[in-house]
Amino acid sequence: MRNKWISGISAVCLILALPFFNWIKVVNLVALFSRIGVTKDMAKDLLTGYNLYNLLSFVQYANQGVLGLFAMVLLILTAAAIYFNVAFIIRSLLGIKKGKGELSLLAAGKCAFLFEFLTAAATIAFVIFSNAKFKMTGFLPGAVVYIELVISIAAYIYIKILEKKERDKYREHGLWVELKRNWVLFVMLIPTFVYFMINNYLPMLGVYFAFTSFNFRDGLWSSPFTGFKNFEFLIKADLFRLTKNTVLYNVVFIGIGNILQIFFAILVSRVTVKWFKKTSQTLMFMPYFVSFVILKVIVYNVFEYQYGLINNLVTQMGGERIDFYNNPSYWPFLITFFYLWKNIGYGMVVYLATIMGIDNEIYEAARVDGANELQQIWYITLPHIKPTFIILLLYALGSIMKGQFELFYQLIGNNGVLFNATDIFDTYVYRITMTQPLSIGLGTAAGLYQSLFGFLIIVLVNYIVKKRNPEYALF
Amino acid sequence: MARDLDYEPSAPKTIKKSTGTKVFEAIAYTLLILGSIICVLPFIIIVSGSFTDNATILTQGYSLLPRDFTLSAYQTIFKSPKDILQAYKMTLYYTVVGTGLGLMMITLTGYVISRKEFKYRNTVSFLIYFTSIFGGGMIPWYLMYANVLGLKGSTLAIWFPALMSPFLVILMRTFIVGAVPDAITESAKIDGAGHFTIFFRIVLPVLKPGLATVGLFLALGYWNDWYRSSMFSTNSSTWQLQFYLYDLLNATTAMKQMASNVSMKTADLPTESVKLAMAVVATGPVLLFYPFVQRFFVSGITVGAVKG
Repeated sequence: MRNKWISGISAVCLILALPFFNWIKVVNLVALFSRIGVTKDMAKDLLTGYNLYNLLSFVQYANQGVLGLFAMVLLILTAAAIYFNVAFIIRSLLGIKKGKGELSLLAAGKCAFLFEFLTAAATIAFVIFSNAKFKMTGFLPGAVVYIELVISIAAYIYIKILEKKERDKYREHGLWVELKRNWVLFVMLIPTFVYFMINNYLPMLGVYFAFTSFNFRDGLWSSPFTGFKNFEFLIKADLFRLTKNTVLYNVVFIGIGNILQIFFAILVSRVTVKWFKKTSQTLMFMPYFVSFVILKVIVYNVFEYQYGLINNLVTQMGGERIDFYNNPSYWPFLITFFYLWKNIGYGMVVYLATIMGIDNEIYEAARVDGANELQQIWYITLPHIKPTFIILLLYALGSIMKGQFELFYQLIGNNGVLFNATDIFDTYVYRITMTQPLSIGLGTAAGLYQSLFGFLIIVLVNYIVKKRNPEYALF
Repeated sequence: MARDLDYEPSAPKTIKKSTGTKVFEAIAYTLLILGSIICVLPFIIIVSGSFTDNATILTQGYSLLPRDFTLSAYQTIFKSPKDILQAYKMTLYYTVVGTGLGLMMITLTGYVISRKEFKYRNTVSFLIYFTSIFGGGMIPWYLMYANVLGLKGSTLAIWFPALMSPFLVILMRTFIVGAVPDAITESAKIDGAGHFTIFFRIVLPVLKPGLATVGLFLALGYWNDWYRSSMFSTNSSTWQLQFYLYDLLNATTAMKQMASNVSMKTADLPTESVKLAMAVVATGPVLLFYPFVQRFFVSGITVGAVKG
């Protein structure tokens, strides 16, 4: 019963966060517009009040990068608040419980109200901040914001009390007790925390640049906010080609790669001479260990126009030299070949380990029944490596939007002639980073699209796999 | 742990091989020899090219066996070894510092997320894993180091970003779970040992294979890396070895194009055989150690493939 109550409050919070209510009121309309330089014909697009969804349209007129970043954060917070509230309401109405008693449900509730609180607080901060920025009282938070603030704090405290009772019942404890009890473990995690914050989590905020148009005068943090312009440009120009190249190359890599890895793993496993087995495995694993710069040396020396090994052989046999470096049609094959060259050994090791784990008695029995080598492979080996195959396939599908950046960049480099057939997201973004600082927004947009698209694929694949066979799920 | 890869599932010697089996084995041996040759051939081309006289390369092109054997390319490199020694020194520095610190951080993290009494172990694992499925992209990452932290030109920007990876953390956790039974740490705790004592006195001593594997993965990554130099170095004295080689290749290609345009003499450029010799010098240590450390990588890949 109590849960229905709380989810009712949560529903109220949810509705307040929807676009029906203006969270930010504009006061001193005329003064504000003249301060941000809005002309009369633009003024009709501007409103006297904003909710968190159309705030970005204001920011776009205001031409203030920092406000844009702030508005983005607000929008993300709102989206998170709505997501957690909806999740909490659904869970409490359906009575979905995991773990001990109502603890997980209460935690979901806490999360929902925490984000409602954060959204409201951040809105107030936005108002204060932008007023300071314009040096005038242009905005005021709407009454809704204060209501939201009070409700979410009250609900949070209420849940906290309920949680305390529930915890006493199940002898569970919260963050503070855990901190006190296992503080050493937290200390051990500090360097890791710092690392992943700097290297991974804080840069995620930088996707904001995808919505700005960078110029040197305003710098990174104040360049104008332009909404989805970068994405529109990208869709018109390069997006389709980049997506096609990235996905197609990966599909080919995954497909042929796995087949060959399994093929060679089976061959190695059937070899009886011990030293031969060891040597062939060692040799085929070796390319994995050289850097891509060395690969560049190799490819250049084999395919170069004048002195290259291939052209050398071709001319010796009386043929015409082939100009590999000016002809895009060869490179999809060459890139695939050298991807395989470098990665066959790696996957072979994985499959070989699985094959070696198969009980020998199964083969013995099959042999007694008269099964030949191919039948043994088909009916015993292949079914046994299916789980490994599926796991590797899932991992690979998860990174289908990521490229083999080093492979492509070292083989192709800045050879524009070949870009049409060989440009993938990573090389495209890298070029922008290094040579075109004015396109930072565009590059970030491409990167964000790549990340989001890849992320959606992973979530989708994982969802399907989890439904069919939870054992194979990635998370 | 890795399964024994030398274990043989094939027919015991007592059973006589059928013709089918013999044909199959013949095909298997042939294909494996072929595969091995394709994998090794490029290395042979490089090594033999580095021992070939440059004039021969220019007139007859590259070949599989060195013609006109000479050591002149290596002599050229070591006549003025300042630049390459600097790149070697920096790469060694990055590799040692990065592998040392990274290994420590990875092992500590692996220990923490393998503790059953740690309530948030799954949350922490997921937060680490999450970075491998979603990220802000290359440009925000670059701007974080170059503009926000202002590390452009600093050596820190070259070794710091590669200290850890989700794969290695999960791998290390798997190693720790496999090497240290819960009962041992439990009894140590009852005897009053703290987490640091357990970590240093009980976990680390039995973790040598895990440490070797993860450390070698880290070291290989550092040795073979070039692109952090390309992004963050402002001065050639901080270049990684691979980037030094990369720059050499690019500079000569560009200069050769220029030279052919204005019909200038190319005698002063690093010759083809010098470039190949440089490649041999740069990758030498890796291939030298490879036969001895291969088994650690094999065990790492095998353990890592088992879902952690």
